[in-house]
Amino acid sequence: MAGALAAIADPAVRGAFREWLLRTADDELVIGHRHSEWTGFGPDIESDVAMSSIAQEEIGHARVFYEQIGPDDGSTPDQLAFGRSPREYRHAALLEHENGGWEFSIVRLALYEPFEAGRLRLLGASGHEPVAGLARTLAREERYHGLFAETWLARLTKAAVEDRGRVQRALDEAWPDALGLLETTPADDLLRAAGVLGETPAAARAAWEDAVRPILTGCGLAIPRAAAREGGRRGAHGPEFEQMLMQMTEVRRSDPEAQW
Amino acid sequence: MAAGVRPAPGDTPRSEAGDRWQRALDAPRDVWAVFLQARRRDPHIYVGDVHAPDAEMALVLAKEGYTRRDPCVNLWVVRADQIHATTAGAEEMFEPATDKSYRFGGSYRQQQKVYRSAWRLSHREEDQ
Repeated sequence: MAGALAAIADPAVRGAFREWLLRTADDELVIGHRHSEWTGFGPDIESDVAMSSIAQEEIGHARVFYEQIGPDDGSTPDQLAFGRSPREYRHAALLEHENGGWEFSIVRLALYEPFEAGRLRLLGASGHEPVAGLARTLAREERYHGLFAETWLARLTKAAVEDRGRVQRALDEAWPDALGLLETTPADDLLRAAGVLGETPAAARAAWEDAVRPILTGCGLAIPRAAAREGGRRGAHGPEFEQMLMQMTEVRRSDPEAQW
Repeated sequence: MAAGVRPAPGDTPRSEAGDRWQRALDAPRDVWAVFLQARRRDPHIYVGDVHAPDAEMALVLAKEGYTRRDPCVNLWVVRADQIHATTAGAEEMFEPATDKSYRFGGSYRQQQKVYRSAWRLSHREEDQ
């Protein structure tokens, strides 16, 4: 398979689209890995199974995008997922944080899913097949992920005053990094100029906030005012990610050439 | 997951149960029975339970718990304690006293289809 990038003649645009797809894949890989850490530790067996399943789907989505990127430089999905140094990953910092409590993972998922839905819509309208078609298909699964997060968030905030306080603290903590999901680099400008992606950063931010605000206020949560914390899209990651990557690649590093 | 709902003490000694031939399932308040429809126009089949505080959460959890490995187009959840069941003591009411095999529906094509789709779900390989 030639991948999504082969059809783009202009090397600058191709590089920008690669970066954009890499972000998408890395976001899904990293949040998927964090969610997989709930396996065996969920608050009840049903939610444990559901979160584990969501984790599998997210990592599956990452794979779909790595498969589109790989042919461009001859990388396999495994090499892209596990074979890079931390600075080469393009996920937003929000996704790499340790789970902490269940409420943090739920808040994070509730903030992430509207972003992911917007991104898949944008990609679905990019006119670049097969990625556009894939994005439309993957959006079906993301819808459930958002539903799971919203349903849980509503229950957590309805339970008791002190519980809502915990959720609010998780939200306050997550908010600057959630805005970091929308961080742009020159790649975004290039793709917009080339007509691949038809949304300005301001419009993307407004669409995300419009989606997120009713979910949060509907749960009685206050929207934080803190400014964005950025850097993830340029490869700046914290020690939590380095630890995560070491753990995630432990088996592979023992024999990178092994056939599984 | 499919362990929560049991026909309530139908095993209650007859003397105690008296003539009681039906009763609500003796299930905790947070147990929901899940019914899955594999294809449109198939009947909904009972596949197991989930624990959840309300119907919406029960559906969210049932979706992951019961539709990952089997096809599904529609889910029902019902509070298990809202299901009324005949008791064990009433079993003999289903046993014909005279030969009524002429009434069995097995030879009707539509009936066979209904039985088969129910059978398919209740005899999944993992249960064998």
